[in-house]
Amino acid sequence: MVLTTVVGSYPRIGDNPGDQALRRAIGRLDRGEIAEEELRSVERETVKVVLREQNDAGIDLVTDGEISWYDSQSHIAGKLASVEINGLARYFDTNTYYRQPVVRGPVSRKGPLVVDEWKFAKANSRAPVKAVLTGPVTLAALSENKHYHTTKALAIDLATALGDEVEALVAAGASHVQIDEPILTRHPEHLSLVSETLERIRSRKKASSLTLFTFFGDVAKIYRDLADVPADVLGFDLVQGSATWPALVKHGSTKPVVLGLIDARNTKEEDPETIAKKVSDLRSSVDLKASYLAPSNGLEFLPRDRARRKLRILRAAADAVGVAG
Amino acid sequence: MKALLTTSVGSFPKPEYLTRARTKASKGELSPEELRVLEEKATTEWIRFQEEIGIDVLVDGEQYRGDMATYFAENLEGTEISGLVRSYGNRYYKKPVIVDELRRRGPISVEWFRLAQGQTKKPVKGMITGPYTMMDWSFDEYYGSREEACLAFAKLLHEEAVALESAGAKVIQVDEPALSSRFDELPLLVKAVGTVTKGLEASTVLHTCYGNYNEIFEYFNKLPVDQLDLEMSNSGLDLLDRFKREPLKKEIAFGVVDVHTHVIEPESLIRERIEKALTIFAPSKLFIDPDCGLKTRSVEEAKAKLKNMTAATQSVRKSHGWT
Repeated sequence: MVLTTVVGSYPRIGDNPGDQALRRAIGRLDRGEIAEEELRSVERETVKVVLREQNDAGIDLVTDGEISWYDSQSHIAGKLASVEINGLARYFDTNTYYRQPVVRGPVSRKGPLVVDEWKFAKANSRAPVKAVLTGPVTLAALSENKHYHTTKALAIDLATALGDEVEALVAAGASHVQIDEPILTRHPEHLSLVSETLERIRSRKKASSLTLFTFFGDVAKIYRDLADVPADVLGFDLVQGSATWPALVKHGSTKPVVLGLIDARNTKEEDPETIAKKVSDLRSSVDLKASYLAPSNGLEFLPRDRARRKLRILRAAADAVGVAG
Repeated sequence: MKALLTTSVGSFPKPEYLTRARTKASKGELSPEELRVLEEKATTEWIRFQEEIGIDVLVDGEQYRGDMATYFAENLEGTEISGLVRSYGNRYYKKPVIVDELRRRGPISVEWFRLAQGQTKKPVKGMITGPYTMMDWSFDEYYGSREEACLAFAKLLHEEAVALESAGAKVIQVDEPALSSRFDELPLLVKAVGTVTKGLEASTVLHTCYGNYNEIFEYFNKLPVDQLDLEMSNSGLDLLDRFKREPLKKEIAFGVVDVHTHVIEPESLIRERIEKALTIFAPSKLFIDPDCGLKTRSVEEAKAKLKNMTAATQSVRKSHGWT
């Protein structure tokens, strides 16, 4: 058998007018028709729906869908000291944009980043909720650094700030924390810096399980060295990063893995049996019982109805592994 | 002498009566014919506005389009339109889904070109959403290969370009905002755009925006078009130094106003930007335009930005004695 999880984001709205409350509320806030607090309340209602959809699909470890995140960079970096938020920049090779953080001084955590959102999600989900944070190296690489002499120095201070947040999450009861470092699929040479920064986060996580997830490409070239990073679980995009698959098959993994085999960037539907068979190929080299099957990255690149169908495929494929395994 | 011609990238905001009508039409409360009347009215108004402020190369303003990729996709066979996906902030669009072999039913944007060109003696651009962007912004349930899907779009968009040319288009623009998505796919983009522009007599333009220009710079001179249309003001004019070292062998349309801010750039700032551009590019090869389509701005903001842009350009021309 294999567990199921998601990577992070989830579509915020659907195509029925009833599923578009969040879009309407943001529009009304922009026009000055409602106060910020009313938007937060609509956001929370949306998070409940997103959790219900994951719960109903039978996903074992869920997220809050990152519903209140404007984007993966500004939502985290924008809450730190000495960081301003600038104009739009393209987010990797997606047709989406993030507001670029500009670092103007020493960064530090001055308040909660995601812990309040995590607490709310936890209280509204039947399945355990994973806390997700954008990793320090990706944050540093995608920011405009106007203070530190090197990206490395910025990444290390970001790691300290994220470590503070992980400590707060764990104190609040989080048992699963995921750090996203998509930058590794573009810049594998950052692996040692990812390790160094993760070490600062690991020292704060106590008994919680720490996952390092990479997406939007493969990590084949650094696969063997990834085994040594200070994380408990390793997550891979095995669709756009399909080149990682042969390395995984060949070398296996001593750590549990998250197998991102369901394409989260295309609507084409996978055959659950085919996915299950692929997962079963790892039976002798990976501890599947402690591992997860997942989409290849956050689901927000799909329309809501398609994301829901991908969750069903994910569940069906994991069930088929159970039967086969 | 031909110097500092002004133009636009493509889209203009829709007036409120048209936005309301589109909402009604989407609910079935307004017929496609009734909607079309209003789209034509808005197109006519934008043509008249561009003439009034003295723009040299006009656009039809894309009043009839929702999303630039979806518009072309829904006029091709072999596609469906997905549910809403987010672009950024509170902006969502419906993505094309390729479900079968792509085929062109007939002209897509030619009638709109005719309508716009029929109302002005100045050239109106024929506008095509490029094959690479069409592929990158579509879900693919049929081809299973980005290259195959991209080249299938390219073949059909070439037919559209030929049809626009036959209808009288002297300038044809291929929009490739997805150009810088994947550096390793630039050879595919060059091949696909080359398929679209092959054999055209019209002057060809490639527009792109919001990318890492430094990484794609070496491809600029390889792009099979006569003119590059680049967003420059939002990137802080960083590229100019590089153009100084590695000259562009094409015309350039130089974006001088940011389309993502409510701020109306004053004439003086735009003049400065144009003067900076003139230190690198010859006036006969330098076109002046906004960074990108203005559709995300209000009608008033878009008009104010365009007015300042043309006023600034005219003032620079005058100061150099190019009028």
